[in-house]
Parts: sequence; structure tokens; C-alpha cells
Amino acid sequence: MSTIAIHNLTRDYGHGKGIFQISFQVEEGEVFGFLGPNGAGKTTTIRHLMGFLRPKSGQCSINELDCWRDREQIQKSLGYIPGEISFFDDMTGTEYLQFAANYRKLGPNSRQKELLERFELDPKGKIKKMSKGMKQKIGIVSAFMHDSQILILDEPTSGLDPLMQNRFIELIHEEKQRGKTILLSSHMFEEVERTCDRIGIIREGRLAAVDSVDTLRERHLHQYTVTLDTPEQAAAFARDFGGISEGLRVQVAARQSLEAIFLNYYGGDEHD
Amino acid sequence: MINLTLYRREMKNSLKLLLIFAAIMTMYVSIIISMYDPELMKTLDSFYEIMPELMAAVGMSAGTTSLLGFMISYLYGFILLVFPMVFCILRGNGLIAKYVDRGSMVALVAAPVKRRTIASTQMWVLLSGVLLLLVYITGLELVICRSSFPGELDTLALLKLNVGLLCLHVFIGGICFLSSCCFSDTKYSMAFGAGIPALMYVIQMLANAGEQAEALKYATFFTLFNPTGIVDGETAAIVGAAVLLVGGIAMLAAGILVFSRKDLHI
Repeated sequence: MSTIAIHNLTRDYGHGKGIFQISFQVEEGEVFGFLGPNGAGKTTTIRHLMGFLRPKSGQCSINELDCWRDREQIQKSLGYIPGEISFFDDMTGTEYLQFAANYRKLGPNSRQKELLERFELDPKGKIKKMSKGMKQKIGIVSAFMHDSQILILDEPTSGLDPLMQNRFIELIHEEKQRGKTILLSSHMFEEVERTCDRIGIIREGRLAAVDSVDTLRERHLHQYTVTLDTPEQAAAFARDFGGISEGLRVQVAARQSLEAIFLNYYGGDEHD
Repeated sequence: MINLTLYRREMKNSLKLLLIFAAIMTMYVSIIISMYDPELMKTLDSFYEIMPELMAAVGMSAGTTSLLGFMISYLYGFILLVFPMVFCILRGNGLIAKYVDRGSMVALVAAPVKRRTIASTQMWVLLSGVLLLLVYITGLELVICRSSFPGELDTLALLKLNVGLLCLHVFIGGICFLSSCCFSDTKYSMAFGAGIPALMYVIQMLANAGEQAEALKYATFFTLFNPTGIVDGETAAIVGAAVLLVGGIAMLAAGILVFSRKDLHI
């Protein structure tokens, strides 16, 4: 049984916009990367999982519960970071986190304090006056503080500086260790490559590929044989480029970065 | 079924607006009641003779004799209709549509709380605000009348009148809330939530003002609220108030249903 299952999910907004026949599964304890450029349909898919949108056709379920019909039930074990963070502007960060905890009827044992320390966040100021990064941190804290079993994270590191992005990736690793099922959408290849087991690539509303990070890399491993003038040069070349020298010939392998792989799917034929 | 945490937060948000409206009401109601004076009434009646259309348009008519009749003429035609209506419009829009428009509704729906509970909570916030405002107005009227003109006021009739007024504002609140639930865009929520009640009020003014336009009274729900009729215990007036109440409740319920079923692009 898959924790998150999407089957033939379609929502046509017209003019080629929307999502079409999206199907993929996320298994229990897996970190799934949902990769695609802006406007590809990542957020629309996630809105269906969250029960914000009713599927026009196809189904999606979490823990075998229907994402639209049983949304309150699903939300009990779900943490969510929205793609566009917008809180109640009139509150301070502290007030908002307190509100969110009470609203969910959380006890005093939530992870709020630990998370605030981890992300070095002082939530005392008015949310309206906060920078994008600070709002993002508030979003992260409120998604993780109830320690739910499933996490749906829509571009969770946008607005964070590189140091905080690393802290976030550490947090994902820890959560994975603790057996959480995570769906993480991103347009940043490095982030997904560093955190996910499998990756789904979405482009213009259609799923272009679903594969493990390793397979995706393997598929784009290119081998070259280079012949040089002298054996010394060949040895030096092999050293610098991590190849295997054999007389004048050196074998090198170029692993395309996930970015290049992604551009392959996204950009069409021109890269092949 | 409501979420108390949300209710408390929203009531705190209503409070500032309620205080402003209470202050305006206090000023108007106390000034107007203190103007009750048979001598002055003659002056007002002479105004009516000079410009009957204008006076009638704002719901003021001549020849009112009792204190309550005076209040009906000068408070229940404009001030007590329009100010609570503005409160309904502002809060109605702010409770649902504004959050959906800005995206902060995410914080409310991405939690194990039913959409029906969220919408019911916001509805009770709106109703509580209207009720508080009307209870305050009633108290204010009683205190001012009793201190300035002891023994002149028919208390029971005033209470009946204000229950009728509450029915009217539940109806207006219903319009605002339903439009807030239907539209995900503040622009449209405001256009309908504020536009319909305002248009209806303008039609009511026209219907009051001119004889040719009198037929217009059938085109506005304000006609269903007949203060003099309620005070006199006329069946038609009581049925009118009941219709407003039932219609208001129906629209509030419809709003909750619409919000529970709609797609949220947030």
C-alpha cells in the first residue's frame, strides 16, 4: 500500500494549462522529489492532495483515504508548507504559532521550540514586517511542529539563505530516518538530489519521468575515450578528470548533473 | 460546531470595528433622542413641509407623537439601518473572501478542522458582532430614554422593534456572508456583498421619496422591515420580519455549504 497515491489526476484549465493524467505513488518512509519549472503543475497537484481542489477526473488518496472526501481525517497526520506563504498579517510570529498550535488542539509538547532554535528564528515581530525568509521559517516551523507522519512541502526552501537551506536538508534527512513519508516539490535540482529517493519530473502538466535518483544519473552517464600525445600527458589527464589511463588513451565518464537531465526533459530535443 | 481558537481570534478582530461603531451610535442615538421635544417636533415637521421628499427619503415622516414614534422616524430609517449594514459588509467580506483572496485561508484549511466548522465559526463571529451591536443599541436607547424622558418609552415595544431590526440585519449579514463564501476574489465578494444591500437601500430611499416610485418598494427587501407595523403588532410586519430571519438563515447556511464544496486555489 502506497502512502500517497495519485491515479490519472487531470484538471484542465484550458489553453494547455493544468495537469493531465498525473499518476505516481509515494511509498511509506520514502522521500519523493517533485521537480518541475514554475507553472508546470506542481502546486495544482499538491492542492489536490491537500483537499483544496476536487479532482475533475482521476483520484488521489493518502493512506487509502480520499484526498477530497476525507481531508480532515488526512490532515491529522499531515504537515504542509504552502508554495506561497501568506499568514494573518496582523499577528506576530509568536502569536501565529500559538494560534496554529491551539487551532490544531496541540498539547504543550510540540516541537516548536526546538525548531525555532534550529532555524535561529525569533518570531516576536509582526509577520507583515518579516522578510520572505523569516516567513518561510515560520511556515517550516508550523508544518513540522505537530510531528506528523506525512509531509507535503511545496518549494520549502524558497527565500532561505544557503546556510538555512542546509539546515533544512539536514532536517529532511532526520525526518526520513524517523520514518516520515515526504513529498517535496522544487525547481532546485541540488535540493532534490540531496534529499530524495525518487524523483518525478513534471513538465507542462504532464509527468515526464519517475525514477530513482540513481537511475536518473545512470541513464545520463556518458563515456568518452581520449587519446593524448604522450603517456605522461595521459596520466596527468586521467588524474585531473578522474579517468582511467591506458597508454595514450584515457577513459573518462561525465555524469550529467541532475540539472542537465532536467533540462533534457524540459527543453525537449535540443540537448540530445 | 465551531473552533473556539478561531472564534476568539476573529472576535478580537471584530472588537475594534465594534468599538468604532458603538461610538458613532452613541453619538447619533443620544443626540437624536435628546432632540425629542414637542416644541422641536414642530420645527422638524416644518422641515417636512418644506422638503417632504428629502425627509421621506431618509425615512423621516411627519406627525410622530410618541417618543418611540419619534425614534422610528429619526433612527430606524437611516442610522440603525446603515451602520450595522456597513459592519456586516466589512466583516462579511473579511471573514472568508479576504482570507481566500490573500491565501491565508491555507492556515485554516491545512489542519484537521472541517471546512464546515471553519465557515460556521466565521458565521457565528458575524452574527455575534451584529447581536452585540444591537444589544448595545437597545441598552443605549433604554438608558438615554429613561434618564432623559422617564416614563415616556414603551420598553416592550422597543424590544420587539429591535428584534425586528435584528432580523433585518441577519438577512443583510446573510447576503454578505454568502457572497464572501461564493467568491474567491475580494473584488467580487465586495461587489455583491456591499452592492446588493446598498442598491436595495437606495431603491428604498427612492420608493419612500416619490409617489411615482412607490412601486419600487416591492423591489427591495427593506420593505419587509416595517418598524411602525412591528410596534403596532401588525401581522404583516411580523411576517415580514420572520421572512427576513428565515431568508437570512437560509443564506448563511448556503454560504457554509458553498464554502465546504468549493475549490480553493490557495
